[in-house]
Amino acid sequence: MTDAAGQRILVVDDEPQILRALGTTLRGAGYTVDTAATAESALAAAAAHPPAGVILDLVLPDGSGTDVCRELRSWSDAPVIVLSAVGEEKEKIAALDAGADDYVMKPFSVDELLARLRAVLRRTASEAGPVIEAGGLRIDVADRLVSRDGERIKLTPHEFGLLRVLAQNPGKLLTHRMLLREVWGPSYADEAHYLHVYVSHLRAKIERDPAHPELIVTEPGAGYRFVDPATS
Amino acid sequence: MTRLAPLAGSVAAVTIATLLVWALEPVAPNLSLGVLYVFAVLPVAVFCGIRWSLPVAIASMLAFNFFFLPPTHTFSLRDSTNWFALAAYSVTAVVVSELAASSRRRAQLAEQREREATFLAEIARELLAGAEPEGIERRVTEVLGRPRPQIESGIRALIDVASDRRRLEEEALQAETFRRADIVKTALLRAVSHDLRSPLTSITTAIGALRNDELVFTDADRRELLDTIAVDSERLARLVADLLDLSRLEAGSADPEPEVWSLDELVNDVVADLGLSERVEVAGASPFVNVDPVQVQRVLANLFENAVKFSPPGAHVHANITATRKEAIVRVVDQGPGLPEDQLERVFEPFYRGPDRAGAGLGLAIARGFAAANGGRVWAESRPGQGATFALALPVVEARVELPA
Repeated sequence: MTDAAGQRILVVDDEPQILRALGTTLRGAGYTVDTAATAESALAAAAAHPPAGVILDLVLPDGSGTDVCRELRSWSDAPVIVLSAVGEEKEKIAALDAGADDYVMKPFSVDELLARLRAVLRRTASEAGPVIEAGGLRIDVADRLVSRDGERIKLTPHEFGLLRVLAQNPGKLLTHRMLLREVWGPSYADEAHYLHVYVSHLRAKIERDPAHPELIVTEPGAGYRFVDPATS
Repeated sequence: MTRLAPLAGSVAAVTIATLLVWALEPVAPNLSLGVLYVFAVLPVAVFCGIRWSLPVAIASMLAFNFFFLPPTHTFSLRDSTNWFALAAYSVTAVVVSELAASSRRRAQLAEQREREATFLAEIARELLAGAEPEGIERRVTEVLGRPRPQIESGIRALIDVASDRRRLEEEALQAETFRRADIVKTALLRAVSHDLRSPLTSITTAIGALRNDELVFTDADRRELLDTIAVDSERLARLVADLLDLSRLEAGSADPEPEVWSLDELVNDVVADLGLSERVEVAGASPFVNVDPVQVQRVLANLFENAVKFSPPGAHVHANITATRKEAIVRVVDQGPGLPEDQLERVFEPFYRGPDRAGAGLGLAIARGFAAANGGRVWAESRPGQGATFALALPVVEARVELPA
């Protein structure tokens, strides 16, 4: 818990009470906290003191969290966790498409928010190398080789592409659109059924128990997430 | 009178023809003058029909025989030529009268047809323009008089089309009403869920933080988290109470219990209760009103809180009480930014929030609702940059009511 080590977190929400409670909580967890109540001040704060991570409300008085996310992504790699609410599913997906890393639903549990924050911060700390290992799975990105417990797994090009994109963003929630665009190309961005079929094929080949996937986790209505069972 | 007219006409026609023959007798052979009786039969046939022209024809021949054919003044005939002439005249008269009558019938029929056609066209136009089918039906019976199955079925088809169209229009209108109500409801639900969720989020965050043993807090942090819980719990409670009030007002079940009060007393009471005695200056008349004190004080509290919220820190709010013979009016005048004209009414809509989006946007809607429930009204007056005035008007009662002998 003390691995926060004063990392700077920018919290953006138009509700002063939420800002206060979240700010105090994050300081208690060892982070340095900046707060902003508007889209404009959020971008200004992020430019003045580049944060290690951003917690971003979707609804801001002068714009949407999605716009902030998109703008931020154009010059910052800081991971973004979106605060979303029931009834804001579309905005949530838009924000994830615009580059947000994860989301929590309001009202959220503090423990969950802190866990997600740790996960996204850890991910940016450890850039995925040419060889990715997770739960007995070994992916050699350069040589396009995949093996499980030393045993070679044959994947089709699209299956490999899908696994590579997911595994190179461990813990990050990737939306259907992002995955389709990365693996199949922009013109397939709306063909979600392709994705579901390929994910089930992929799971059948790489998961120990495809009925209870550990490596590729479904985020209902949003997308998929690659998880290393050892670290989650 | 009208039933006697054909009879009188017939008698007159025969008389005139007889007089004409008598007048011309010296200059023409009387036998050929018999043809003049055709002029008696013809008009009767045209105007009164064959029912009258036939008797007129017979009466004419009898009169001709009686007055002019020898032996005169008897109905007998001496000359066989005269028999022939009389017979020829009679047949001519009857045929002519029948021809005239039938052409008249045709003319009448044509007229009737034209009237009906015009009427049908008129009805069709009216039905298409959206007239009431019920009224049309009544007029059809009036105009047609006797039953006319063919025309009636045509009109009925027209009326059916009109009724169908009307029903469809009504259904469309209803669907549109429902759709709009749905949009409003969805907007309300969104607003409510957002307003409920925000305090809930800060409360659960603060509680989650306090319960997490791994987080390190100073005493000040802990107090701040507890403050957050206290403040937002109160906010939640207030919001729930406001929503209940609003739904009660919208259902029309505010059920005020009126008592006679001096308005300035109610105003001063509210100001003291809100702890605003330092900032609100009350001045003016002391009219009596017969209202539910709790509800009216709720109205006043919302107006004062609003005024203070939008005034610069420390700026005074004025409450001026005036009275006419009918109404007592409290004007709450603030020194805030004021309201543009297009917002003077909108601010009273539930969940309407100003540009600063402070509060849930329910206070003024509730104020207006309770004012109306007590026979009063609330409105806003303002010019941007000059502060806003919110006024509450209540019906005045005589002071005597409150002080029985």
